[in-house]
Amino acid sequence: MLEQLGLLVVPLVAWDNLFSDLPGHTVDGLTRGAIYALVALGYTLVYGVMRLINFAHSEVFMVGTWAVLGIYTVIGAAEGDALWFVIVATLVALIGAMLASAGTALAVERIAYRPLRKKNAPPLIFLITAIGCSLVLLEIFGQVLHAFFGEPFGRKTISIPSLVQTEQLIGPRGSLLTTDAVTITNLQLIIFLGAVGMMLALDMFVNRSRLGRGVRAVAQDPDTAALMGVNQDRVFMLVFILGGAMAGVAALLYTMQFDITKFNIGFLIGIKAFTAAVLGGIGNLRGALLGGLLLGIVEVYSSTLFDSSWADVTAFILLILVLMIRPTGILGESLGKARA
Amino acid sequence: MRRNKVVGLGAVAASLALILSACGSADTDDKADGGGDECSGKIGAMGALSGPNASIVIPSVNGAELALKQFLAENEDCDISLEKFDSEGDATKATPLASQIADDPEFLGVIGGAFSGETRATKGIFNEAGVTMISQSATATDLTTEDPAAVFHRVVGYDDVQGAAVAKYLSDAIGATKVFVIDNSEAYGEPLADKVKEELGDLVADSDKTQVEQTEFSATISKIESAGADAIFYAGYIAEAAPLIKQIRDAGIDVPVVFPDGVYGADFPIAAGAAGEGAIVTCPCVPIEEGDTFYADYEAEFGEAPGAYAAEGFDAMTIFLEAIKSGATDRGAVEEFVDSYEGEGLTKTLAFDEKGDVAVENVVIWAYKVQGDALVPDQEISLD
Amino acid sequence: MNVLTKVPGTLAIQDRWRGMSRLTREIIKAVGIAAGIAFLVYLPFLQVLPFAQIRTDLSSRGASWDAVLFQIVIYMIVAVGLNVVIGLAGLLDLGYIGFYAVGAYSVAIFGSPSSPVTEWAVQKFGFAEGWAVPFVACVPIAIAFALLAGVMLGAPTLRLRGDYLAIVTMGFGEIIRIVLRNVGEVSNGPQGIVEIPSPPGPKVINDYGVEVDLFNRLDHHYWYWLALAVLIVLIILVRRLENSRVGRAWLAIREDEDAAAIMGVPALKYKLWAFAIGAMLGATAGMLFASHQTAITPNDFQLNLSFLFVAMVVIGGSGNMVGAMLGAFLITYLPERFRDFQEWRPFAFGLALVLVMIFRPQGLVPSRRRAAEFRDRKIEAEEAATDA
Repeated sequence: MLEQLGLLVVPLVAWDNLFSDLPGHTVDGLTRGAIYALVALGYTLVYGVMRLINFAHSEVFMVGTWAVLGIYTVIGAAEGDALWFVIVATLVALIGAMLASAGTALAVERIAYRPLRKKNAPPLIFLITAIGCSLVLLEIFGQVLHAFFGEPFGRKTISIPSLVQTEQLIGPRGSLLTTDAVTITNLQLIIFLGAVGMMLALDMFVNRSRLGRGVRAVAQDPDTAALMGVNQDRVFMLVFILGGAMAGVAALLYTMQFDITKFNIGFLIGIKAFTAAVLGGIGNLRGALLGGLLLGIVEVYSSTLFDSSWADVTAFILLILVLMIRPTGILGESLGKARA
Repeated sequence: MRRNKVVGLGAVAASLALILSACGSADTDDKADGGGDECSGKIGAMGALSGPNASIVIPSVNGAELALKQFLAENEDCDISLEKFDSEGDATKATPLASQIADDPEFLGVIGGAFSGETRATKGIFNEAGVTMISQSATATDLTTEDPAAVFHRVVGYDDVQGAAVAKYLSDAIGATKVFVIDNSEAYGEPLADKVKEELGDLVADSDKTQVEQTEFSATISKIESAGADAIFYAGYIAEAAPLIKQIRDAGIDVPVVFPDGVYGADFPIAAGAAGEGAIVTCPCVPIEEGDTFYADYEAEFGEAPGAYAAEGFDAMTIFLEAIKSGATDRGAVEEFVDSYEGEGLTKTLAFDEKGDVAVENVVIWAYKVQGDALVPDQEISLD
Repeated sequence: MNVLTKVPGTLAIQDRWRGMSRLTREIIKAVGIAAGIAFLVYLPFLQVLPFAQIRTDLSSRGASWDAVLFQIVIYMIVAVGLNVVIGLAGLLDLGYIGFYAVGAYSVAIFGSPSSPVTEWAVQKFGFAEGWAVPFVACVPIAIAFALLAGVMLGAPTLRLRGDYLAIVTMGFGEIIRIVLRNVGEVSNGPQGIVEIPSPPGPKVINDYGVEVDLFNRLDHHYWYWLALAVLIVLIILVRRLENSRVGRAWLAIREDEDAAAIMGVPALKYKLWAFAIGAMLGATAGMLFASHQTAITPNDFQLNLSFLFVAMVVIGGSGNMVGAMLGAFLITYLPERFRDFQEWRPFAFGLALVLVMIFRPQGLVPSRRRAAEFRDRKIEAEEAATDA
C-alpha cells in the first residue's frame, strides 16, 4: 500500500522535465488558457449582469466550431490554398463563427431564459433550464441534423481543413529566430494575440462605450439602472451577444489549432472555462483573462509533473484552494465596479 | 366535434393496443419451458446502438443481421430473430436489458456485450440464467480470467494477445528502440498499454496517461520530445487519436505512430486528415477486401463498407445459427454446442477453450496502414 | 395535496377533510399509506389490464421491469438525499455523484475478494484466500466514509455562497472519479472492481429450480423490495428531521442566511449537517447500486449523472420529498419505457427539461412553502413590470 505515496512524491526526472523547458511549457499553457479565457468571458458577462450560470455556453462555443466547418466547406477552403485566400477565408469564418455563436446565445436567452425572468424564477431553475438547453443543442448536432442531413453531423469526430499550417516562428527550427530556449509557433502567437486582443476590445467596450455603461449600470444595480432609463432586456441581450461572439472567436482559434470538431466538443472546454471564470472572480472581465491563463498554465505544468490524466484534479484543487483564501475568486466579482 | 371523434378513435385504438400488449406480457412468468419448436428462437444483441460510441458497435450488429438474413434465405422453415438491445455502452443500463433477455426463455443466446464494461456487469446474470454469450468485441483480458462465467465466449482476440502483437510489431517490424507509450486511462487503453510496456521492457522510453475527451496534448508531446522517442503507441479511441496525431505531426515529430483496434474504423483516416497518413492501426480482425463476398453483401445490405468487427458479428451469429439448426432448442443445448464448436469463420478458425477464448494460435492480428481515406492491410503480425 | 387546491371542485373535499376528527384523518392517512406501500410491493407482478402498460418489458427488446424498478428506487433514494441538501438547506450541490461513488466503492473495495485492498489484507495478515469484509460490515464502513467525505468537502467550502459552492462541489465529484480511476493500487483503476458482495439472505428456489441466494442476479424483485424498504425508512427519518429543530434551522438558512445567523442559528454547523446527511443517503444508494451491479467502474460515476440528479430534484419540486421522488421516477422511467425511440431520447429529455422549467418552474409537485414563494416572486415581477 505504500506505493500510493509514490503519487505524492514527484520523481526528480519530472521536475527536470518541467524546469528544463519552463518557457516552452508556459507558452503551451498560455495558449491553452487563452481559449479558456475567451470562453470564460461568456460565463462572466452573463453572471456579472444577471447572476446566472449559463451552462449552455459550452454549446454556444460548439456551434461556433461547426460554423467554421460550414464556411470552409461552402467557400471550398482546403489545405494549401494561397495566402490571400487563407486570410479571407479565416476572416469570413471568424465573422461567421461570431454570428453563429452570438445568435445561438441570443436564441437561448430569448427562448429559455426570458420567460423565466418574467416569472422571476430563482437561480436553480435557470441552471436546470441551461442544462436542458445544452442537451438540446448537443442533440441538434449529434442527432437531429444527422437524421436529416447525415454526415458530417452525428457523433463522430470531424476534421476541419487546417488552412494555416503550423510553423515555428521562434525555436530550434524557427523562421524568425533560431533558439533552443523556447518554441513559439505561428498558431500559438495568433491564438494568444487574438484572444488577448478580443478581450481588450471587450474591456474597452464595456468601460468606454455608452452601451457598455448600460451593462455596468445593470450589473451594479438593476433597479436603479431601470429607473435611470436603461432598458434591461436590451442589456441582457447585448450581454449574451457579446459573450456568444467571444465564444465564436474562441471556436475559430480552437479549430485553427486542433482542426477538429464534434457534437460534444464544448462540454470539457465549457467546464474548464467556467472554472477559469470562477477562479479569476466570476463577473469580472479581467478575472476571466487571469483565471483562464492561470488555469492553462497550471494544467500544462501538472501534466508535465504527473501524467496528463491528473490535470483536471490539479485544476479543481487549485480552484478549491483559491476559493478558500478568496471566496469570490482572485480579483473578486466586480463587473459593476470601475475596476473592470 | 370532429376533434372529439378523433380523440375517441384514438382512445379505442389505445385501449386495443393496451389489451393486446398486456396479453403479450401476461406470459412472462412461465420461464421453465424452453424455446419449443425445432429451429426457432431468439438471439439478443446487446451494445451501444446509440450515443457517442455507437459507431464502434453498429457494424458488428449489422454483420450479425446479415448472417441471419442469409441463413433464413437458405432455411425458410426456421423462425429465428435477432433482437437488438441498446445499452448505450453504459453498464447501469445494460443490467435491466440482460435480465430481460435472461427472463425470456425464447432467448437462446446473446451476442455481446460489445464493450468490456457492460460485459463485466452482465455476465453474471447470463451465467445464472444459462444464456450463452458470444462477444464480438469485448477484449478485456480479465473477462475470462477473473470471476469467470462458463457461458462467456468471444470470437475476438483479447488485449494481452493484441498487446503482445503490438509490442512485436514495434520492436521487429519498425525496429524501434525507444517507444513512447500513451494510454487513455480507460478500461480499454490502460491494460493494453501496460501489456505493451511489459512486453517491450527496456525498449520503453517513457509513457503518459491521457483522458478521453482530451484534445490538447502539448504536455504529452513535450514528454515525447524530451524522451527522444523513435516510435509512439497510443492505446485509445478515434476521438482522441485524431487530434493527438495531428499535434504530433504539427510538432515536427515524424516517427511511426501505432494505434490499436480502438482506432480501427473508416472514421479515423477522415478525422485525422493529412496528419494520419502512414499511421499504423493494429486489429485482431482479418482484412475484408472489396472483392470478398462478405464485403459486397454487407455493402449491398447496409449501403456502407463493413466497419469495425462486422465480420466478428457475422461469425458470432453464425455459431448460434448453426447451433439452432443442429437441433438445439434450449439454452443448455446451445451452450453445449457452442462449447464444442469448431469451424472456419470469416475471421479465424473458431473453437473455444475452457475459458471461452479462441485459441491464441488461431487469433489473427493485422497491421493496417492509413493511406488517404482508407485503412489498407499492411501485414499480418505473427505471434510466435 | 396543494396541487389540488387550484381546482375549485376539490374545495368541498378539503372542507370535508378538515371537518373530520383528527383520529379519522389519521386513520384514513394510515390506510392510504398502507395501501400505497402494498401497491408498490405488488408492482413487479403487475399484469392487470390496462395498468400493466407501464411495464418496461412489453416489447421483446425492452428492459427487465423488476431491474428498472430497482434502479428507479435507487435514484429515488438519491433524490431524497439531494433534496435535503438542495431543497431543504438550499445548498447547490453539483457533485452529488461523488457521494454515490464513495458508497459504491466502499462496498466494492472492502467487500470484494478481488479488490486490491482485500487482496493486500489477505497477503499481509494471512487471511484465508478469498477473504473479504462481509456486506453487513461494509454498510457502516460505507456510511463512515460518506460522512467523512461530506465533512471533508463541506468544512472548507460551506462558507462559499451559492454559485461558488456549485462549482466547488462539481470539482469534488470529478476529483473522486478521477482519483478512483487513476489510483489503481486501491481501486483497480479504470477496469473497476468485480465480485461485489450481496446482502445476506435465505436461500430460495429460482425459476430454473436451482437453490440460490435471495439477492441473486436474476430475481430483481427481491432487490427492489430491499431498496423500497430502505427508501421508506429513510423517508421517515428525513421527514422527522425536516420537522425538527434541524429542519427549521435549514429553512431559516435557506431563506436568509444572515438573518438566521443573527437569530442565533449556527449556519455552518447546520449546513454541514445537511451535507453529511445528504452524503450518507447518497452513499446508501451507491452501496445498493454497486451490490446489485456486482461490477463497477469509475465511468459509472460520470459528471452528467450529477446534473441528472439535480434535475430530478428540481423537476419534481425542490424542497418537497414527494416531488423529488417523482422527478427521479420520471427521469429514470421514461427513457426505459420509450426505448423504441432510442436515438431521440436525449433530445426529448433536454426539450422536456426546458419546457417543464418554463411552464412549471416550481416543479411538478412543489412544496407548499415553495409554491407560495414562487407566486410571490411572480407577482413581484409583474408589479415591477407595471411599475416600469
